[in-house]
Amino acid sequence: MINARGLSKQFISFKKAPGLSGAVRSFFHPEKIYKDAVKQFDLDIKQGEMIGLLGPNGAGKTTLMKMFTGIIVPSCGELSILGYSPAERQKAFRQKIALVMGQKSQLWWDIPAMDSFLLLQKYYEIPKKDFELRVKEMSELLGVVELLHIHVRRLSLGERMKLELMASLLHSPEVIFLDEPTIGLDLVAQENIREFIREYHRKHNATLILTSHYMADVQALCERLVLIFDGQKVYDGSLGDFENILGHEKSVSLSFSRSQNSSLFSDYSPIWNDEKTQVELRVPECSWNSFGKDAFQIDDLVDFNTEKLPIEKVMKTLMTNPDILRQMRT
Amino acid sequence: MMSSIPKWWQTIRIAWSKHTAYRLNFVLQILGPTLVFFFVKYNLWSAVYSTSPETVIKGYTFQEMIQYHVWALVVGLIAQGHMVVNLSEEIRMGRISAYLIYPFNFWEFHTADFLAFQTMQTLIALITIFLIGLSAFLDVPSFQLILTGMTYCLFVSLFWFTLQYMTGLMGFWLEETWMLRVTLRMIAGFLSGAILPLELYPEKLVTFLDYTPFPYLTYYPIKIFTGQFNQFGQAYLVMGLWCLVFIVINKIIWRKGIKMYTAAGM
Repeated sequence: MINARGLSKQFISFKKAPGLSGAVRSFFHPEKIYKDAVKQFDLDIKQGEMIGLLGPNGAGKTTLMKMFTGIIVPSCGELSILGYSPAERQKAFRQKIALVMGQKSQLWWDIPAMDSFLLLQKYYEIPKKDFELRVKEMSELLGVVELLHIHVRRLSLGERMKLELMASLLHSPEVIFLDEPTIGLDLVAQENIREFIREYHRKHNATLILTSHYMADVQALCERLVLIFDGQKVYDGSLGDFENILGHEKSVSLSFSRSQNSSLFSDYSPIWNDEKTQVELRVPECSWNSFGKDAFQIDDLVDFNTEKLPIEKVMKTLMTNPDILRQMRT
Repeated sequence: MMSSIPKWWQTIRIAWSKHTAYRLNFVLQILGPTLVFFFVKYNLWSAVYSTSPETVIKGYTFQEMIQYHVWALVVGLIAQGHMVVNLSEEIRMGRISAYLIYPFNFWEFHTADFLAFQTMQTLIALITIFLIGLSAFLDVPSFQLILTGMTYCLFVSLFWFTLQYMTGLMGFWLEETWMLRVTLRMIAGFLSGAILPLELYPEKLVTFLDYTPFPYLTYYPIKIFTGQFNQFGQAYLVMGLWCLVFIVINKIIWRKGIKMYTAAGM
């Protein structure tokens, strides 16, 4: 389905010294800067999979997406998607894929979305009946029926994003690349978009590759995670395994109505607040049971929290301590 | 081939509504500079000829000189109007990414856009001819002359389009192509007879220019409208060959450029 072997992309840019003299100097003696955006990337994706492609800013996620969609040409390595080589940009290939970019509008700014849709209908050669049915279905599902005939530049970000998503899926693509589709959206809109994507996947069994900085997106949509750091793949596996990447510990916080003895929970590396009424603990999975029993026996206990998004914690830890990733790579 | 006709047609329709979305801007951008330029020229030549109304400069009476510049305005409207579209911006800002994904190519999209633009532009030119015809500036020529002249101007616009497309593709390498485009227009304006009739230049230069495409861009088209030129075979051949050359070069540039395109900003 999607197979990448040793995929690499090197960007060449020119160093520019500040000021006029610098500009003149760099004109005659351009100093090249090479940057490896993606290095030796291997990836195999089966049809119908939903993959989350994660990594900090500048890790190479978008570069990968651009190579997958044929927008940029890889420096070296092999890439095959649906049996096509994306860089050749055959029309048959372009008919079967879609790219949704949260940061970039693909709809034409100065015309209503419906006009853009009609243009896409012609470009993708969608039969009229199918087109009408899909527009009706999707616009109802997303609640944008009223917005189809308004100039796109007058819409809010959330409204526009829904229409962008519609535009990308009108031709029933087999492979969908979603580059931060929920960026800048409010929580309800994010939830709507996620639900819509999930529904589309259920119906069409499309292959989906998603990048996002919102772990909720990833958790809701992806079964498999690929983590990219410094242009290299450092993790490729299930969501469940990823949550346990830092060991099988759960983070728990407890609140009490009165100050407690700070020697309490000393086995779970406790971090107390000054008043000794709140504590954060790391509890190994194996002692979960006995810990629970102990904790609930304390009369002063008023609140008990475990983290909602363990994956978010893992991501945050990895990004603030990139050394862990370097060790993982070796 | 047949299957792409609806794609082109729909793109042209969208381009029409896009170009008219900012109606005032559209009219000002296209008509404004040309009209201002025309009035500068009118006042200049009025001053030059004011000493005696019978003066003839290089074979032009005052009336003929003004007519020359009216036709220069019309030729500019039809042949060069599309120059305002900035293709390199689309490359530099990464906006071409969308066209790389759609099963409709970048050049197809822009050629369709150009065709849409030209039809509107031809209409504007016709209205301009009509309006100026109402005033005393212009003896409106026969319908046949208008038709031949306009057809040739449309052919010239194809030359400008392929050339402009080339400067646009420079956006793969250059950060800004504005200076390049302006310089090109200035040189072309000067050498094509858009600023002054070529008779006013030294004879040697005029003879030399005949070997370049420049006179075919404005000077000869004007002469077609005034009924003083009829070597159409040669005129079409010269423009046609240059278009072909540019199309081939554009293809090569595109192939090289797309390999190093980074889709920055997307």
